[in-house]
Amino acid sequence: MSFRTLRRKAANAVFVGFCSIATVIAVTALALILWTLFSRGLHGMNLNVFTKETPSGLSNAILGSLMMCALAMAIALVIGILAGTWLSEFGGETRYGHAIRFLNDVLLSAPSILIGLFVYELLVARTIGHYSGIAGAVALALIAIPVVIRTTEDILALQPQALREAGSALGTPAWMVVRNIVWRAAGGGLLTGGLLAFARISGETAPLLFTSLGNQFFRTDLTQPMASVPKVMNDYALTASDELQQLAWNGALIVTLAVLAVNVIGRIIIAAKAEQS
Amino acid sequence: MAPPKTQRLERPRGAWADPLFRAACAGAATFVLVALSGIIIFLTVDGWPALQKFGLGFFTSTEWNPVTDIYGAAGPIVGTLISSALALAMALPLAMGIAVFLVEFCPRALSRPVAVAVELLAGVPSIIYGMWGLFVLAPFFAAKIQTPLMMSVPDGSWLSKLIQGVPNGANVFTASLILALMILPYMAAVFRELLLTVPAQVRESAYALGSTPFEAISKVVLPYVRTGSIGVIMLGLGRALGETMAVTFIIGNSHVFPKSLFDSGSTLASTIANEFQEATGMHSAALVACGLVLFMITFSVLAIARGLLSAQRYG
Amino acid sequence: MTETLTPDTYERFMTEPPAEGVILRAQGLDFFYNGYQALHGVDLPIAKNAVTALIGPSGCGKSTLLRVLNRIYALYPGQKAEGQVTLDGEDILDARKDPAALRSRVGMVFQKPTPFPMSIYDNVAFGIRLYESLPKKQLDERVENALRKAALWDEVKGKLKASGQSLSGGQQQRLCVARGIAVEPEILLLDEPASALDPISTAKLEDTIIELKRDYTIVIVTHNLQQAARVADYTGFMFLGRMIEFGPTDEVFMKPKAKRTEDYVGGRFG
Repeated sequence: MSFRTLRRKAANAVFVGFCSIATVIAVTALALILWTLFSRGLHGMNLNVFTKETPSGLSNAILGSLMMCALAMAIALVIGILAGTWLSEFGGETRYGHAIRFLNDVLLSAPSILIGLFVYELLVARTIGHYSGIAGAVALALIAIPVVIRTTEDILALQPQALREAGSALGTPAWMVVRNIVWRAAGGGLLTGGLLAFARISGETAPLLFTSLGNQFFRTDLTQPMASVPKVMNDYALTASDELQQLAWNGALIVTLAVLAVNVIGRIIIAAKAEQS
Repeated sequence: MAPPKTQRLERPRGAWADPLFRAACAGAATFVLVALSGIIIFLTVDGWPALQKFGLGFFTSTEWNPVTDIYGAAGPIVGTLISSALALAMALPLAMGIAVFLVEFCPRALSRPVAVAVELLAGVPSIIYGMWGLFVLAPFFAAKIQTPLMMSVPDGSWLSKLIQGVPNGANVFTASLILALMILPYMAAVFRELLLTVPAQVRESAYALGSTPFEAISKVVLPYVRTGSIGVIMLGLGRALGETMAVTFIIGNSHVFPKSLFDSGSTLASTIANEFQEATGMHSAALVACGLVLFMITFSVLAIARGLLSAQRYG
Repeated sequence: MTETLTPDTYERFMTEPPAEGVILRAQGLDFFYNGYQALHGVDLPIAKNAVTALIGPSGCGKSTLLRVLNRIYALYPGQKAEGQVTLDGEDILDARKDPAALRSRVGMVFQKPTPFPMSIYDNVAFGIRLYESLPKKQLDERVENALRKAALWDEVKGKLKASGQSLSGGQQQRLCVARGIAVEPEILLLDEPASALDPISTAKLEDTIIELKRDYTIVIVTHNLQQAARVADYTGFMFLGRMIEFGPTDEVFMKPKAKRTEDYVGGRFG
């Protein structure tokens, strides 16, 4: 074996070794994080976490998170799907369409704390006058909207053009072609896009710091300050109390499991869709 | 023998709604423009008093003092850039290594589950990383790495300058490490998808010339996805720059230049998160101005990424 | 193809069908894709209750011509047709006219099957519901009728609620034919309807086309010469965006007048 061959083989071995070690290191580190999350999160997990208000449980925070995320998703799905449809079906190739697509990318990558800051200035400081669940939901919606727009456009663009032409060839109005044919054909994909956006916002903390604030009590009034699990985690993690820190970890586990579950459901839908076609 | 025609509409049912639907879609698309303009306008208007009062000093001074009401954001700005750059430096080789390993070397049976796990981890909320940093990494780092290092390194050497600081584990280095861990799954997942776009023939023709896997990957596969990988790097960087929750718990929150790797510092996002709720007047304006600076930084990163990606994605 | 045709370098051979039988007529039709001219002064007479085939090599403009006849091209802002196309003496290219009304009279079936993401029944009823409100029983009859005419009824009558996408490729294409004829158009445009089908499905579809001739006027674009010879009464041969020769199918295939037609149907280029 020549020296050159040896050197090439050695370089290759080093490279393969590096890639394998990188994977091992990363997987180990991430496994450590998950291990901490589960061991601390499961500790002290009981029914009280779900039924009692803070600081004995998280019932008010869970309710607040669900309500704000639900409202945010309702807003985001309407605006996001319509805007994504416009980009894919109507105006996407115009100059304005290209501009909107770029601005959507900007919004998608804007730091979430800035979204919170903006909603604070717009709603909390100038319009409503105090912290509220609505402000929190709007902030979350602003984070979800660009995600929904992006996935909607991508998924509608995958639908065959012949399908739209076949609809139009019957004289079908454009909005019915979109609603009855294109959206239906893309149904699973749109649902997945919505789920991924939901997963994205359900763990968001930064945009809630100055918008929904928090609430010690189990309240369903969205016009008032509202508790959320990530915000409670943030507050309690920084206290010196073991009990409150424990509750923060319980919340962390609940949020993570919810996010993972939604992601997994989205994946199952994609997989089922792929198998079908 | 055509069947008898029944009463039939001239225009199809629902044709009247077409303009309405188009207008609704166009309106929703315009919402993006309105929202983004709103963000820029509000950040500019509300941050303007601070920018006006401190001028260039806002960017160059490290004095951030709510008591004397003097604000210079050089500390958080530099902290943001340093922590993100360090995080990227740590995450990038690992992410590329993982992606290459999963696509090229990993046994098939293992590749799928690990890839799915990596993608799922990319969805874990960033506050979880922050809490892990606060409760696990910081104490471990302080007790097992920082303190022993400081004890063993002779005073006054260059190394001791690099690692001086309060040994509590909350510093620029640990914050960067947490950031790196947070962006790692995301970057690895996107990078893996990028590698999967390389056509099999391209890879095979490299091997057909007798290349070792290292040569095939470094000389053919990676150059093939070069523009795309620059985009991935920029997107990862963008995430790190704007991240709040993973950093705030563990960076130590001091507004001066970090004097060493193990010194405490702050980022723009962590400063806003820590102080905005209690801030009034000029303090509040200075924090909003920090937000504007952060927006400008992430926007530039995105614009560069977009420029580099446009050839691939929209070309 | 760098070869270009000018009016001087080609001769047109048009053998018109009897004038009183012509329902749709294109005259001097030019067509542009974002400024690129794809059709040059094309004439096309379509005889009622007959099958007219358009043949020619790829890129000759036969599909483009077909897409003008129901103005489906108008979905794309960069596409423009100039000249005259008359349906029963009425100009259909008039931009002020509602394309939907035209499309209810001129149906279309595409190259690849395009079942809508809904049940077989709803696929066929889709177009009917756009223009008519029928009681359930009448609607059922219309759906059944259309499926029978498309020779699909026997294969799907037990599973009308199943998804249209669950059918085989050949069945899907006949479903699209059924959907097209359910709105009872006068003309049905078929754009290479068999190109994605296997030989058996193709044969079934051809039988269907010949059956449909009794009630409908059919224009079919095909790259399959045998298919044109089998189903068409009239055939037009196109080349580089021009109509080179038009006439009864037998004449075009057996005694072509133009040299180019002769070369093409003889298989010398294509």
